[in-house]
Amino acid sequence: MNWANRLYQSFYNATVPDQRYLAYIDGLKATLLISLLAIIIGIVIGIVVAVLKATAMNYGMKWLHTICNVYINVIRGTPLMVQLLIIYNLVFTSRNTNELIVGAVCFGINSGAYVSEIIRAGIESIDRGQMEAGRSLGFDYLQTMRLIILPQAVKNILPALGNEFITLIKETSVAGIIAVTDLTKAAQYIGSRTWDILPPLIIAAACYLVIVMGLSKLLTVFERRLSKGDRH
Amino acid sequence: MIVTKNLKKSFGDHMVLNGINETIKKGEKVVVIGPSGSGKSTFLRCLNLLEQPTEGEIWFEDTNITDKKANINVLRRKMGMVFQQFNLFPHLTVKENITLAPVKLGLMSKEEAGKKAIELLKRIGLVEKAEAYPNQLSGGQKQRIAIIRALAMNPEVMLFDEPTSALDPEMVGEVLDLMTQLAEEGMTMVVVTHEMQFARKVANRVLFMDEGRIVEQSSPKEFFENPSNPRLREFLSKVL
Repeated sequence: MNWANRLYQSFYNATVPDQRYLAYIDGLKATLLISLLAIIIGIVIGIVVAVLKATAMNYGMKWLHTICNVYINVIRGTPLMVQLLIIYNLVFTSRNTNELIVGAVCFGINSGAYVSEIIRAGIESIDRGQMEAGRSLGFDYLQTMRLIILPQAVKNILPALGNEFITLIKETSVAGIIAVTDLTKAAQYIGSRTWDILPPLIIAAACYLVIVMGLSKLLTVFERRLSKGDRH
Repeated sequence: MIVTKNLKKSFGDHMVLNGINETIKKGEKVVVIGPSGSGKSTFLRCLNLLEQPTEGEIWFEDTNITDKKANINVLRRKMGMVFQQFNLFPHLTVKENITLAPVKLGLMSKEEAGKKAIELLKRIGLVEKAEAYPNQLSGGQKQRIAIIRALAMNPEVMLFDEPTSALDPEMVGEVLDLMTQLAEEGMTMVVVTHEMQFARKVANRVLFMDEGRIVEQSSPKEFFENPSNPRLREFLSKVL
């Protein structure tokens, strides 16, 4: 029973004294806030870039297409942590920036590149005839996109998008390097206080797991509701 | 109503349309036939600029639609198009398919468009399918709904791109019947098809295309009974 007692003691030390559980909760809040903001920013950028890219192709605006590709390639071709440091040091010249916001923006810009590629693939999965049918009824390109192509593409986009969000939530764990006290950073702090790093890290890992599983569940429900429309 | 002047279209090096001069008058029913690869579908798709011509002009009711300044989106409202693959919108109900364009383009209120949709559905005997989704319909039903979806815009001309080619044989009749009705009501129609009986019965004029040109055109009677072009004679001997 000795080991069980020790285990209990470690986890107790990692949570209760000095109200350490509050640190996890604050860290969790930061992680969730960064993730949520980044997801929103990522979706907005993703949709804009994907539609711009498709539009540029449609209207033969090569330069716009190139700009979109440069963005996607640069973001996908460089490590997230380096991007984070670059943006942080770029913005952090003024002393009173909010690290949390900088982090969220950076993760959002990063995610946007992946989301735009996911959306592009979703748009391309829709039969060409749908665009032609929309255009032949008198809709312009963007109206057809909005009313006909995107609503259908969502079904193909959603699973991949869910994956991207899961990855994003987990990747926010590197936010600590720009002085955001997120869940991972909070766990490290507590570990350095108690001289026992493993229990807080395991607690943090469990929190991530719960968030990700919750999100997966939510996405499954969402996907099922969407597919109801086409399988009567 | 539609005039094409020296219409040319090429995909890369491949010349698909090789200078087409054609006039389609109001109320005319023109049937275009020809072997596959002869450019007949491309010709039709150029008429509402689903394909951008490489050269030449297309005039629709005194507007040069190939002119950069022409607003093709507004012009297309007057040109209904029916596709081989139906292209109904699978995420919308039958009724929504029909009302989407008139409502979203601000031509009708939701109520008006809904009423019109039901009227059109009654006409083709599919009013009970108003709330169904396209996947629940047979091919013939889909195509008839695609036709009335185009009609809901009150077009001046209807373009048909092989409307029966993707259908099971037993469903071809119902679609051709509807097209025949439209023709009898005086709709201007341009039809690309392989249905020779339909051409014979409904057309005012039959065009034969080969290698990107219109090589023969005449009344259906003359066309089928007295073809002069050797390519046409060979074609007819194969398909009739």
